[in-house]
Amino acid sequence: MTRPATVAARLGAFSGPDLPDPDGLRSCVHCGICLPQCPTYQILGEEMDSPRGRLYLVRAAAEGRLDITPTFTRHLDLCLGCRACETACPSGVPFGRLLEATRGQIERRGRGPARRALETLIFGLFPHPRRLGPALRLLALYQRSGLQSLVRARGLLRPFPRLRAMEQLLAAVPRVGRLPALVPAVGARRGRVGLLTGCVQRLLYPQVNAETARLLSRAGWDVVIPAGQGCCGALHLHGGRLDEFRRLAGALAQAFPEALDHLVVNAAGCGSAIREYGHWLGEAAPAAALARKTRDVTELLVNADLPLRPVEAVATYHDACHLVHGQGIRSAPRALLARIPGLRLVELPESDLCCGSAGVYNLLEPQMADRLLERKVDNIAATGATLLVAGNPGCLLQIAKGCRARGLVVEVLHPVEVLARAVGP
Amino acid sequence: MPLSPAVIPELRRLLGPDGLVVTPEGRMTYECDMHTFYKGTPELVALPRTTAQVMELVRLCRRERVAVIPRGSGTGLIGGATAPQGGIMISTTRMNEILEIDLANRSATVQAGLINVWLSNAVRDRGYFFAPDPSSQMVSSIGGNASTNAGGPHCLKYGVTVNHVLGLEVVTGAGELARLGGKVADRAGYDLTGVTVGSEGTLGIVTAVTVRLLHTPEGVRTALAAFASIEDASEAVSAIIAAGIVPAALEMLDAAIIRAINEGIHAGYPTGAAAVLLIELDGPQAEVAAQAERVAAICRDHRPLAIRVATTEAERTLLWKGRKEAAGVLGRMTANWLLQDAVVPRSKLPAIMREVAAIAARHQLLIANVFHAGDGNLHPLICYDERRPGERERAIQANEELLAACIALGGSVTGEHGVGVDKAKNLPKQYAPADLNFMARLRRAWDPDNIMNPGKLLPSHPACGEGLRVGAPVRIPSGAWV
Amino acid sequence: MTSALGERLRAVVGAEHLADGASAAVDGVAPRFVARPANVAEVSRLLGLAHAEGLAVAPRGAGTAQGLGNPPTRLDLVIELGRLNRVVEYEPADVTVSVEAGMTLDDLERVLGKHRQVLPLDPPGWRARTVGGVLATNASGPWRFRYGTGRDALLGVRFVQADGTVTWGGSRVVKSVTGYDIPKLLTGALGTLGVIVETTLRLHPSPECERSWLLGFASLDLARGCLAALLDSALQPSRVEIVNAGTLAALGEPVTAAALAVSIASVDAAVAAEGAELDRLARAAGGGARQLADDVWERYGSLFAGARGVRLRLACLATSVTELVALVDALAHRHGLGARVGGCAGLGALTAVLEGECAPDAWEPAILGPLRDRLEGEGGSVIVEQCPLALKERIDVWGPVDPQALALIRRIKTEFDPTGVLNPGRFVSRL
Ligand SMILES: Cc1cc2nc3c(=O)[nH]c(=O)nc-3n(C[C@H](O)[C@H](O)[C@H](O)COP(=O)(O)OP(=O)(O)OC[C@H]3O[C@@H](n4cnc5c(N)ncnc54)[C@H](O)[C@@H]3O)c2cc1C
Ligand code: SF4
Ligand code: SF4
Repeated sequence: MTRPATVAARLGAFSGPDLPDPDGLRSCVHCGICLPQCPTYQILGEEMDSPRGRLYLVRAAAEGRLDITPTFTRHLDLCLGCRACETACPSGVPFGRLLEATRGQIERRGRGPARRALETLIFGLFPHPRRLGPALRLLALYQRSGLQSLVRARGLLRPFPRLRAMEQLLAAVPRVGRLPALVPAVGARRGRVGLLTGCVQRLLYPQVNAETARLLSRAGWDVVIPAGQGCCGALHLHGGRLDEFRRLAGALAQAFPEALDHLVVNAAGCGSAIREYGHWLGEAAPAAALARKTRDVTELLVNADLPLRPVEAVATYHDACHLVHGQGIRSAPRALLARIPGLRLVELPESDLCCGSAGVYNLLEPQMADRLLERKVDNIAATGATLLVAGNPGCLLQIAKGCRARGLVVEVLHPVEVLARAVGP
Repeated sequence: MPLSPAVIPELRRLLGPDGLVVTPEGRMTYECDMHTFYKGTPELVALPRTTAQVMELVRLCRRERVAVIPRGSGTGLIGGATAPQGGIMISTTRMNEILEIDLANRSATVQAGLINVWLSNAVRDRGYFFAPDPSSQMVSSIGGNASTNAGGPHCLKYGVTVNHVLGLEVVTGAGELARLGGKVADRAGYDLTGVTVGSEGTLGIVTAVTVRLLHTPEGVRTALAAFASIEDASEAVSAIIAAGIVPAALEMLDAAIIRAINEGIHAGYPTGAAAVLLIELDGPQAEVAAQAERVAAICRDHRPLAIRVATTEAERTLLWKGRKEAAGVLGRMTANWLLQDAVVPRSKLPAIMREVAAIAARHQLLIANVFHAGDGNLHPLICYDERRPGERERAIQANEELLAACIALGGSVTGEHGVGVDKAKNLPKQYAPADLNFMARLRRAWDPDNIMNPGKLLPSHPACGEGLRVGAPVRIPSGAWV
Repeated sequence: MTSALGERLRAVVGAEHLADGASAAVDGVAPRFVARPANVAEVSRLLGLAHAEGLAVAPRGAGTAQGLGNPPTRLDLVIELGRLNRVVEYEPADVTVSVEAGMTLDDLERVLGKHRQVLPLDPPGWRARTVGGVLATNASGPWRFRYGTGRDALLGVRFVQADGTVTWGGSRVVKSVTGYDIPKLLTGALGTLGVIVETTLRLHPSPECERSWLLGFASLDLARGCLAALLDSALQPSRVEIVNAGTLAALGEPVTAAALAVSIASVDAAVAAEGAELDRLARAAGGGARQLADDVWERYGSLFAGARGVRLRLACLATSVTELVALVDALAHRHGLGARVGGCAGLGALTAVLEGECAPDAWEPAILGPLRDRLEGEGGSVIVEQCPLALKERIDVWGPVDPQALALIRRIKTEFDPTGVLNPGRFVSRL
């Protein structure tokens, strides 16, 4: 259902445009089937930190039984937005959209100063690749600056080590040259696709983008990579910054030529957000047309005719939330890996339980993120795999960090990287 | 009695800083189970991890004369885990350890909050399973299952929860810890385990359950038979039972449910059928094969539209997924609903299904059906929309008529969901005042001060509680009657 | 007084159904009267009278299990339920039956057999026993392995409370959670909470084919191995009994150190296939399987029925059965007693009949004590189901009961029968 941003209305404690859809809220029958799938419920065992409880709170607010209180906000903040509940729900409750709309309401009401400072920092950096890189490198300087003491005084020290971890990671990344605007198809041409390079992906995992382009072209696709493409807006959407999200979505649609067979995305978080364009911008918007063309890279490569050499390894696959729950992609990456000779794929217990990364969640809610990461690393360790494969840069970053902290020797790779090894140079 | 704020620090000491829900927002999310019609916010929610904590909690509540409302996963359909009179809700969700698996003695002991299917998951590789399988098994707790004596599709062959509970650890309303039964279930004395199962938290709070595990059967065959009328399907069910076949499960789904399931879960049930039977046979391969032929023959005698047999485990899982999540899809079907759980003798199934259709027609309501046909356990789902004037009243009327029809055929008010607040008023339809009085007095032995889940299971409203005016306890010195 | 009471009792049941109590003694305590009521109303009036007059009442079915429990502390009236022997309702297609409590299992079998249905309760001597008696004593037999016990069969129960109030609990359908599960409470309560007068029972289809095998082993260890393998297999036997040498001899079967008697019931083909698998298991465990005659179970049951000797009901873990059989054998041997032991190996429910000379004072230290000590740790128990009065007066026939459970049991009994009308003194802790 499309709800144009301009229509102002009231719904209990909510007001203005982008109200949580009352029909969506009503479709929750309070059966609880989603509970065991919810990471925060698994960790905390509390109703108000479960999907059913969160929906109950939102519905109560929509019915005017509850205001947007700090406690209300707290329980919604703690939600990872992983949408595991949506996969589990037999009633088809559109949890993600309801959450995003509710977060929009929360943002509109305004945040406390501490959270605002943190958000300013995060949203000032992340969606801007050109700022994020230097920012991380300036981190050391920043630490000594006055800003740090300000942040400390606000009790916001905890997310800090994560930024530092990223900075270290960044230093280790090999420099990869800028991708050309077009990588032409090799051999029989199948069509023309656009490649989304993403914010975090392009900075921290440039090789994934390079390999994506190379493999797609080997598979017969012309790959268009507009240099001016910006951010898809995923983080804004999940954070309830809906206006900015719409702006970024519109700009992204402008950046890509219309004549594309597909828009290929190799970052699950981006793919899942782009697929929501139609809902938030209206199905008639150019962004919606782009959304309908969006495919995860594994969907295009799973059946690609590529020569494969053996890769001798035991691998296990982590379902990125925004692939499995956000886009319903469960089998394509597994099938892609299963095609690689020599690669033994073992199933990861709780493979679709969030690793705690969840966009910038690990920066905003480090404690919960850490507990989920611990659990993820436990599960990885139990498989005995030496290769952990996941289709989202946030997950790769988070899991690599967890394994390193544990001293677990596991290579953390994107499916495209594994495929690239099999295909060879 | 309202809770004194002075107990909060005491409870925090007992449960730790994160063991108590005090915020109005937090408590609000505990105000109902799946039957959201009945709401009652607890004054506090306690999240204990150990039996010792539960015992201290109940003692404190008894001291303060405050109601105790046990809660498992809150999937109940009867307004059982709600606090209409306030009090302290004790949620068992953090008590979810498997304490022991003893396959040599085919038993396991688990904390009350463990999710039903997690137990089967833990022993599946070794060839065992926990038989009670309420359709909520992916979320409901074993303590909740024991407290409601939950049934499920496979209870047709294997029996309901009570048939699989060997022992209970329970903190009674008197604040005492009682260990009833155990891995060796036979004990001298009354079958206190049997009585506590199904008592919906009105006698005590179950902290751990010792259950029987069963060995996975050698063969399983799952089939789906579609019929052009509910009557044909009902008659097929009665005929299968009458033929002396005990399928592992025998479930019926009607057209409205099939449509919603196909939409929500993509189970691929045949569209266009008025009713579908989901039939599962299990046991020794040869037995399954022989019975499958007889079941197929019986179905063929009842004008089936199609009979489909699952050939792979994935197909079987999908057939079951549709059935298991049926209760969840009702959000796709209706704005509001009333759900019956009455039981009729199996031979009366065709008659009652005719009656259901007549009642639906009379009140111009959609009554959808998805139920444990083999047990005669109906789940008519009366759909209405409270926003349409008069519909709610008609739904309530239809509900009453349906129940009356089931009782008139020799049935029972509730087969597996339990009584809670929802059905308490209906008990006098099935029981005479003396029968209810007996139950009320029985309760007093566990819960002398009536603090355990008050207002549930037994009718207490003065208008219908004639027989329940429990006399003052007879105080007789112990041993005097010897 | 007596004659006045006799008058009033006669007024209820009629002169021909009231007898002098001399012949109906329970553990040597003779009641003043035996009344044989014709229906529920009469039972109710009898109990109302007893309640008002402060009489002690013992309900009685066929009288085959009157030896269970402590000697009554008082006894005035035995209510014999043999005339309540009607089928109240039987619709075969429901696979349930409602019958009065005084009906014998033999009579019931005849009714059900016509429709190829069965009430799978087969305690020793079951044919002569009444439905009410079997339920009140929670007696079970080999079928228990597949079908459970009385608690699994009893769906609804009508009973008469100590004050004569006729009460119904449960339902007439196979599934009901309407209110507390009163049928469970009454099962095994030995009539101390009420006299069972009518029951609704879950039935099962009679199996098309049933065959039985004896798996003999040269040692208990081998038997244990086979039992473990059998229980861990996908086989679905109906009965899995462990029997000792004494039982084998009494059955006229070749005597081995230990044996398992197993029956399998299903369709022909499945019985054959499972029988073959059973044979394989027995061989793999170092023994062998031999098919038994169809009447073996009737004969087997009769070995544990009857009034001779001391009969023990032992409850233990399935993993302890072989050890327990060995212990009973050893204790019996040491004290010069003969022992027949048998019971459900899969569920750890054994019966032992000990015969021979043993001084009443010696029993506790020689037999009961060691057995109870052995079982205490695993929550097992030994109930002396039957023994000479001289012995009964010296022992605790029920054995210890968990104190918290006992507290509940006491409160329940006090609630419903504060003055001790029903079977006073006979139940656990002399309730
Ligand atoms: C989708 C769906 C399908 C369902 N299908 C079935 C079905 O097939 N068969 C069936 O029988 N039911 C079914 N139900 C109903 C429900 O799932 C069962 O009643 C279940 O046993 C409740 O378990 P729970 O842990 O959610 O308990 P709750 O809902 O939390 O509690 C149920 C009752 O038990 C009490 N209780 C809970 N835990 C304890 C404890 N530890 N000690 C004492 N009292 C306690 C509560 O006070 C309450 O009265 C279904 C429900 C849903 C939502
Ligand atoms: S979100 Fe879906 S699964 Fe969760 S409680 Fe609501 S209806 Fe049930
Ligand atoms: S989105 Fe994830 S964290 Fe949030 S409620 Fe759903 S399952 Fe839980």
